[in-house]
Amino acid sequence: MILVQRIIQISLILYVFSLFFPIFMMKNQKTANVGSNMLTAAAGLLGTAGSLLYLFYYDAKLTIINVPSSWSFIVINSEFDRLSAFFVLILSIVAFATAIYSIGYIGEYYGNRDTVLLNCLMSTFILSLFLVFTASNAIWFFIAWEAMSVISYFIVVFESENEENQKAGKLYIIMTLVGTAFLIINFMLMISYTGSFSMDMSSSSIPSGIKNLMFVFFLIGFGTKAGVVPLHIWLPQAHPAAPSNGSAFMSGVMIKTAVYGMIRFVLMYLGVEHTWWGITVMTVGMITVFVGISYAFVEKNIKKLLAYSSIENIGIIFIALGITFIGETKGDPTICALGLMAVLVHSFNHSLFKSGLFLGAGSIQYATHTKNMEELGGLAKKMPVSSVLFLGAALSISAVVPFNGFIGEWIAYQALIRNIVIGDINVDLVTMLSIAVLAFAGALALATFVKAYGISFLGLPRTEHSEYAKEVPKTMNAGIGLLVGLCLVFGILPMTLIRIADKIVEGIVGQTLIGGMSGKFFIATYPVRMGASSISPLTGVLILAVIGLIAVVVLKLAGGKTVERKYETWGCGYQSMNSRMQYTSGGYSKTLSIIFRFLFRPTRKLKQNGLYKYHPEEMEYVITTEPVFEKYLYEPLSRLTRGLSKVVKLKIQSGSIHAYLIYIFLTVLILMLYNRLA
Amino acid sequence: MEKYLDILSILILVSSFALMANKRIKSYINTFRIQAVLISIAAGIMGAQSYAIEKRLDIIIVCVLIVILKVYYIPKMLHKTYADIEYKVGKDFFFNIPVLIFACFALVVFSYYCISDIQGIDKGQLNIQIVNSVSVVMIGILFMISRKKAIGMIVGFLVIENGLFVTTLFATQGMPFIVDMGIFIDMITGIMIMGIMVFRINDKFDSIDINDMKSLKG
Amino acid sequence: MRYIEYFLFQGIVLVMLAPLVNGIIGKIKAFSQKRQGPPFLQLYYDLHKLFKKQIVVSDVSTWIFKVTPMIVFTTALCAGMIVPVVTSFIPENFPGDIIFTIYLLALGRFFMMAGALDTGSTFGGMGSSREALISSLAEPSLLISVITVALISGTTSVSGMMLKMQTENTPLLQPVYVMLFLAILLVILMDTSRIPVDDPSTHLELTMVHEAMILEYSGRNLALMELGAAIKQLLLITLVVNLFLPNQLFIGTTGVALVVISLVMYIIKVIFVAVIIGLIEVSSVKFRFFSVPNIAALSLILSFLGFMQYFILGR
Repeated sequence: MILVQRIIQISLILYVFSLFFPIFMMKNQKTANVGSNMLTAAAGLLGTAGSLLYLFYYDAKLTIINVPSSWSFIVINSEFDRLSAFFVLILSIVAFATAIYSIGYIGEYYGNRDTVLLNCLMSTFILSLFLVFTASNAIWFFIAWEAMSVISYFIVVFESENEENQKAGKLYIIMTLVGTAFLIINFMLMISYTGSFSMDMSSSSIPSGIKNLMFVFFLIGFGTKAGVVPLHIWLPQAHPAAPSNGSAFMSGVMIKTAVYGMIRFVLMYLGVEHTWWGITVMTVGMITVFVGISYAFVEKNIKKLLAYSSIENIGIIFIALGITFIGETKGDPTICALGLMAVLVHSFNHSLFKSGLFLGAGSIQYATHTKNMEELGGLAKKMPVSSVLFLGAALSISAVVPFNGFIGEWIAYQALIRNIVIGDINVDLVTMLSIAVLAFAGALALATFVKAYGISFLGLPRTEHSEYAKEVPKTMNAGIGLLVGLCLVFGILPMTLIRIADKIVEGIVGQTLIGGMSGKFFIATYPVRMGASSISPLTGVLILAVIGLIAVVVLKLAGGKTVERKYETWGCGYQSMNSRMQYTSGGYSKTLSIIFRFLFRPTRKLKQNGLYKYHPEEMEYVITTEPVFEKYLYEPLSRLTRGLSKVVKLKIQSGSIHAYLIYIFLTVLILMLYNRLA
Repeated sequence: MEKYLDILSILILVSSFALMANKRIKSYINTFRIQAVLISIAAGIMGAQSYAIEKRLDIIIVCVLIVILKVYYIPKMLHKTYADIEYKVGKDFFFNIPVLIFACFALVVFSYYCISDIQGIDKGQLNIQIVNSVSVVMIGILFMISRKKAIGMIVGFLVIENGLFVTTLFATQGMPFIVDMGIFIDMITGIMIMGIMVFRINDKFDSIDINDMKSLKG
Repeated sequence: MRYIEYFLFQGIVLVMLAPLVNGIIGKIKAFSQKRQGPPFLQLYYDLHKLFKKQIVVSDVSTWIFKVTPMIVFTTALCAGMIVPVVTSFIPENFPGDIIFTIYLLALGRFFMMAGALDTGSTFGGMGSSREALISSLAEPSLLISVITVALISGTTSVSGMMLKMQTENTPLLQPVYVMLFLAILLVILMDTSRIPVDDPSTHLELTMVHEAMILEYSGRNLALMELGAAIKQLLLITLVVNLFLPNQLFIGTTGVALVVISLVMYIIKVIFVAVIIGLIEVSSVKFRFFSVPNIAALSLILSFLGFMQYFILGR
């Protein structure tokens, strides 16, 4: 126990060192960068080791930091319990990989910008995330939450001379502070009814109606940070604006703090009481999945595509969270356990491959200085190692078999199937719709990442940006390689991850799922009513390899010697192929934007210049889609707010001293009257 | 025997979905013909059953009438009417097809919610058949709403009548004989008048697009 | 040891039988046009010829182009191992999961779509983009149908589902199974590129989806891609046939005789479904691409109706 405590405390101290080290070494940028990132990497490694040890061997709460203060309700107290340890594990692995990546990536900024500042910000950010995950009372949680939001704002506007980044940062900070306001209301309700901020106290003194209100506010507050629809509009602008290692953290870990908050506060603290809570969360998740993946498919900016894909995966996690809530209200611990395991496993896997994808996009940006996929192409020949790693991460997120994305989705399907067995009609309908949306999103996510990989890396280069690209430094590839390697390992041997998640599920729900499972690589679920449903990814890979071998042998025997000839691509007999004849990213997804025109509302304009209508000399074709959520939801709200403020400004704050004196006089009269009547 | 009636009721529902999914006039007249065949089989089975048990002939007579009218005569007349009119090629329906199909499914769910509360319905056996048949009526109304050309409206009206017939067939072994005969005579007269009217409309206005009637305003 | 015999048996039956389905459909198309048509075994002759031909590789493409045919073939065959052709020859408690199968086929689809973009030609991008849309519209319907069957049989393992469905006497006379059968039949039309969705026998831009993706392959690569597509088609047909048309005959015999008779019955059922697909191909035209969502919506609603009939209405 003491060992784990010391390990975690040393890792925290190393983070603090990595914060201050670059400040002392400000003269020499390179040493500052390398030193800071090595310290962060070491801290991440220690954090991983510490949380793994804790998860495998210990059960009780472990205090990391405890600073007593004279006020009884503000206590700086960070504790580990199993849920926190799991999320700290995610944080540490991503920190380790990103730190190694940053050693090479920040090299791009030498001489242009303040790399010292970026390294300090990243270390502080990781520290604040750690504090959010381990806070043990609501006030400390809230302080860490605010710190995390503000520091991430600074990371988003790091490249602040770009107009878009400023706007993105502004939108981000406004949305996240509005969400936090809802959280403040909830914490104040919490203290007014139970008298304490500690999350261990029971919430039974809060009346049921207030609990419903707190649930809605928690959903809005955490939903804003997670990026559920319709509170998602900041995500596709903020994540691309930040530098790539910052985006990896934001998309990989920061949106999981919302999931952690929902589990900690709603499931463990409030205790789910009504079925409609779970159905609401599932419906919100379902809509988020659909909107997220549809917008991801039509994007041409590679980082925005990844941001929308994060929105889709958060939707999947919220669907699983809704199943957990429904299981808790119906009193069936197996459904609750399955749902919670799906949430945890998918969060872990998503952090791994989404961080890998964002770091990969950072490599593309490092080599080609553009984020627009329509200017890329043919990078697989120029950057071979990066292309293989990006392919690995793209395969993981498409949930194909030997990689780890499939495991999370499979458990989610099992949880959804088990949910129908209960027999409540509303739950049945929502679950069936969720299965349909999940299947659609799975296939469309695969198509999105084929597009992202294929149009950026395959084919011919479309502009000089990609023609003169070069391979990125080795440390960058090492960082991504670590993450993709973990994806492959956890895809083929998923039992380790499931064992870890099962300990947490057992702690929260009280039911363990591993009882009936066996073996290292064979995962099976034996819930009470269903028979044996099991998958074995390792067996699948082995069979694939054996069939491949047999096929190669048979082909050699049947075909004999065949010669392979290289020639140019068939272009219907026209002269040579050039890069303009390939499919563009907009063209790839145009059919979807037409079929779903209720969502996208595309418009198109075609201008032709030339003497004759059928032989134009120049043509210009512009397709736009309408930003539906901004136009129909947020602009009316902001117009209303501005209108109200104008009324207040003009009518009430009129500037005349006499009006203000009348206000003061009226207030005194009313207070005296109130005192008399009450 | 009951299983065959179940299957027939679900196939009639599927045929009304297929009717909604059709885009061309000729193919939905043919789908209507297939639906009429299914209904006549259902009526035939029920008629044979009631003859064997109670020695009543009325359902069998109704079945024969359906075969003559709805399977043979009315589709032939509709085809002839359509072939004689000059038509303009254009989109025949207002919303796009997937939206209409989802709306039909919503109608099925809705009719389940409304019917499941009525007392006196034996849950289980009759429930499927009645819900399916009432849904056919609703789909017929939706079909009438969503088509622009006049022939679409005629077919929609016929589908509503089909649905009503099937509902009473499954729920109460058919309506009294006089009522059935009355409905048939009304239907024949109505169809003949509508057919003649379609000719006249086409003569006068050179198109059978009902949406053009909006230009008569003011 | 039963596993090895089972894998060998399954692999040989699938690889040998898959091209026959294409042959039957081709003959039906020819007969409807009053022609003799190609022989039943045409695809076998084609594959044999292709193994010996020279391979031409584009100089724009990368290693993905070379790896794709092998991946498509092995994933199709591996997924085929999980869907048993004969339920009397399965090892005990065989752990093959239907969701695993569908996502294994998704791996093949990923590489096929990426390989099409690899050559930098317009056809590849076109086929890839259309396949992206068609497959995402077809997936929800397939998953809801199989999950409904899984709920009724209580397990998501394919062999478990088939064994349970064998105890039903006449599943085609129950509303649930009729709807699911029709829904999966429409999904087969979409996934295996048959006439309402895609025309497998032309090379025109207007009508190519699957053909556009395999346009650049030649020699043994083309053979592997064609065989992989045929095996995937046979896999889906096997799923439909064994779930919804089970046979109860000759239940008394045991041993080798049972396996042989079941195999013969299976081949007859596959021929029956192939004839149905051929008739559908002959009697309809290829739809405009933007009318393909109509078929997908119809299929989705049929599977939803099937689920509703069972769970909400009780049968």
